[in-house]
Amino acid sequence: MGSIERGTNDGRALPASLRAVSEGPLATDASGSGFFATKADWLVNWGRKNSLWPMPLGLSCCGIELMAMIGPKFDLARFGAEAARFTPRQCDLLVVAGTLTWKMATAARTIYDQMPDPKWVIAMGVCSSSGGMYDSYAVVQGIDSIMPVDVYVPGCPPRPDAVIDAILKLQKKIERETPVARLFGGGPAMRDERGTGQLHYQPNHGLGKGRLDKHPHDPKSRMNLGDPNPRKTEIQ
Amino acid sequence: MTQTDNPSGGAASEGAAAVTPLLAPRWAAALSGLAYKHLRTAEGTDTLEVERGDLRAVLAALKNGAGFAMCTFVTAVDHYPRTPRFAVSHQLLSLEHNDRLRVRCWLRADDAHLPTCSDLWPGANWSERECFDMFGIVFDGHPDLRRLMMPPGYDHHPLRKEFPHVGIEPDRLYRQWDRKRRESWSEKQ
Repeated sequence: MGSIERGTNDGRALPASLRAVSEGPLATDASGSGFFATKADWLVNWGRKNSLWPMPLGLSCCGIELMAMIGPKFDLARFGAEAARFTPRQCDLLVVAGTLTWKMATAARTIYDQMPDPKWVIAMGVCSSSGGMYDSYAVVQGIDSIMPVDVYVPGCPPRPDAVIDAILKLQKKIERETPVARLFGGGPAMRDERGTGQLHYQPNHGLGKGRLDKHPHDPKSRMNLGDPNPRKTEIQ
Repeated sequence: MTQTDNPSGGAASEGAAAVTPLLAPRWAAALSGLAYKHLRTAEGTDTLEVERGDLRAVLAALKNGAGFAMCTFVTAVDHYPRTPRFAVSHQLLSLEHNDRLRVRCWLRADDAHLPTCSDLWPGANWSERECFDMFGIVFDGHPDLRRLMMPPGYDHHPLRKEFPHVGIEPDRLYRQWDRKRRESWSEKQ
């Protein structure tokens, strides 16, 4: 996609109030590393990470574990993420729990697109992480083929503890984000702000998959679209 | 009981073809005058092999005359590279007599269609749609022969033997949808 540019604002004018802050005594530089920016980042991130609203996309048995996780026994409310809403418009954490088929993939991508920024994705279970045991014509070999993923949870299905651990890891990841710097035009723009949901860069950019992790279904590793027998495709 | 001249030659895989089991009397009465071949599969299921032209008459006779009120499933087996290739099976169940009977019909790959039985058993409707989806067998007279499992527009019949299990461009329809979606977004901008 596009290149990562720091310190550019895409020509958009800031509101007057924000411009006063950015030029005032507590001014931050364009990289968003000043006193005001870091403190405001901390505050915004604190609010975001402790009030994740999950969108449960329960596609198979992982959905059962997801229900257990939200229920009273494992009590996701301890971490502020128990408010599952069944409309993507109100959610900021998409939990893809289960086997995603290519037939369902359009619906899953639509749900992802309908979620407002900022949004994060957890691939729960091996099926959504990598296709799992379904080495099949019908199953998406890892939902990172169709949407960016923040945390992968292995397991078939993973215990609720493992998914809670994933949410804690996601909270640590949210702590490192720089929302104010993005507001001032600094920092890498995570996503296209026009709302298309398109990425300016891949979250795992630079972390190539291992040689054995590649699969003919994965568009990143597919060599020849017209090959009638993709299993024989040479994967490098 | 008439021995049909079935070209299948596939009786070897069915185990006890040499044994001629007895038909239940009520089945034989219902089927009098119809052409079929009686086998018993290895697991002991009574099976009638019929020609495609006789299939409708046999099924109707079994339903109306022998009490087979339920069609459990309609499915096919791909015996590639044998000719004829597909064995379409109708599994019937009589709740009244606790009878189970399988009616099998062999089809060639270049002529893979046979009459529907969804008017006899409405429950066979989706079974036949699934059979069409997975094997490409066309059921003539079916009221709504669309794909059941694979998305509309899919090119292949996945349970045919020549189909690789990892698929042939499994993401093609998704990519088409994705391209259309992105184009509509760029028009709005």
